[in-house]
Amino acid sequence: MIQFSNVSKFYDEQIVLKDISFNIEKGDLVYLTGPSGSGKTTLLKLVYRAEHPDDGQILVAGWDVAKLRQKTIPFLRRNVGIVFQDFRLLPNKTVFDNIAIALRIQGLDPRLINEKVNDALNDVGLKHKSHALSQHLSGGEQQRVVIGRAMVSKPTVLLADEPTGNLDVETADIVIKLFKEINARGTTVLIATHNRELFMTSGRRVIFLRDSAIEKDIIP
Amino acid sequence: MRAFLYSCQIAFKNLVVERWINLLTILSISVGLLLFTSYLTITLNIDTVIKRWGTGFGMVVYLGDGLSMETEESIKELLKQDSDILELKYVSSDEALKELREVLGSRSSILDSMEANPLPSSFELKLKRETLTPIYIEKKAARIKEMTGVEDVQYGEKWLSSLNTISVVMRVIAVLLGAAIFIAIAFITYSTIKVLFYRRKDEIETLKLLGATRSFIKMPFLIEGLFIGGVSGVISALSLFGLYKFTVMKFVEFLPSIRGLLVSLPLEAYIAIPIAGALMSLTGSFFATGRIRY
Ligand SMILES: Nc1ncnc2c1ncn2[C@@H]1O[C@H](COP(=O)(O)OP(=O)(O)O)[C@@H](O)[C@H]1O
Ligand SMILES: [Mg+2]
Repeated sequence: MIQFSNVSKFYDEQIVLKDISFNIEKGDLVYLTGPSGSGKTTLLKLVYRAEHPDDGQILVAGWDVAKLRQKTIPFLRRNVGIVFQDFRLLPNKTVFDNIAIALRIQGLDPRLINEKVNDALNDVGLKHKSHALSQHLSGGEQQRVVIGRAMVSKPTVLLADEPTGNLDVETADIVIKLFKEINARGTTVLIATHNRELFMTSGRRVIFLRDSAIEKDIIP
Repeated sequence: MRAFLYSCQIAFKNLVVERWINLLTILSISVGLLLFTSYLTITLNIDTVIKRWGTGFGMVVYLGDGLSMETEESIKELLKQDSDILELKYVSSDEALKELREVLGSRSSILDSMEANPLPSSFELKLKRETLTPIYIEKKAARIKEMTGVEDVQYGEKWLSSLNTISVVMRVIAVLLGAAIFIAIAFITYSTIKVLFYRRKDEIETLKLLGATRSFIKMPFLIEGLFIGGVSGVISALSLFGLYKFTVMKFVEFLPSIRGLLVSLPLEAYIAIPIAGALMSLTGSFFATGRIRY
């Protein structure tokens, strides 16, 4: 579902990812970890083509990402739900609108959007905050809105960048449980995190990045 | 279609949220359009006046000395075929002399000392009003002058050529002014939409990451531009009409004889103003949103 073959990425002269290869199967839930600055965020950005690889091939849900034309990039991204580290919620818009936007850009029927957004709101437990403005929510609630927006279009792949970064332990648990539910419905999930507790006892695959290369790839 | 409706919704929401900058833009564009259309109205009026004068002079075709009846008759036939000529009056040299005597009255005796009649025979023409422009009349006169037997053609040449120049200059200015206004309006909208676009930069970046197409992102701004230009056009069309009515009223107060002489732009032109405004603004917003890169 996500396949990197000898992928390298530079920022100017600095090498961030060097000759990276791995393959994540459909329906997997995988953790991506490594020290800060090891290139986790960059790797995720390569998946949804916010960055372009300098070398190698990236296949995501059948798309040859590096070769995509500008016009087709939006259609790749509709298949990839993203939980951004900085949330990227639309200010002055309600929770409902923030989730609905992922479907509105696809030109869906408003009634269908209504239905799907309400399902997503139920999933992330924010039904009661549906009409609140996004900036009035707590950090944990905002994180759940972002997850709701990422999952509402039932993407084939879901990426999360430090999704528990600013959350207390209990809220982090709720968030991880959400990802497991989403994964159980068939979405391939890739979570970038430096929080060891998330994956140590999870029994899931963990990819370790260090010095721009894959240090370990533990497949249980 | 659904995406279009949604874009309209966003566009109108933005119009309201950013109402001051949008209002200012609409006002500037209205003033620009009003300036241009007022100028067009003035040009149209001057042109109309020129047309009236140009034809009011009529035309006199002087014939050569001692032409045969047949030649005079054939000239008459040629002139009759010209559909621009409304009236044709033959004045023989004898009649001309008689007229001159009448004009001179008691002093007509000075003509007695002349051995032969010095006046040529002539045709006096009256030309159809609507189709005639100074340039056209000039050409027509030149053509008539080329006929065999015609000695000279007289009309208000001096007048006509200066009126001609005025008319041409006014038209050239209209075209230049039109182009300048077009650029100005496109640029005003360009700057406004650019500002609005930058204010929503983060939001646009997010939409791009969520998989919004270029047209989805651009559409609301294009609709905004279209709306701004259209509304400005309507405002200036209404203002122009009001201004015209007001001017006519004031003119008639001073110069009652002018009643009915002032002309307004035709209805089509009034309808064209909002459309032109919308297109100009659309051009501006199209360039303001630029090429979206992922
Ligand atoms: N846009 C960028 N321009 C230049 N350097 C960057 C950019 N983004 C990240 N980097 C650098 O690339 C390296 C990897 O960054 P990142 O992928 O954010 O790591 P991580 O998410 O693992 O902390 C860091 O050294 C960072 O400074
Ligand atoms: Mg990071």
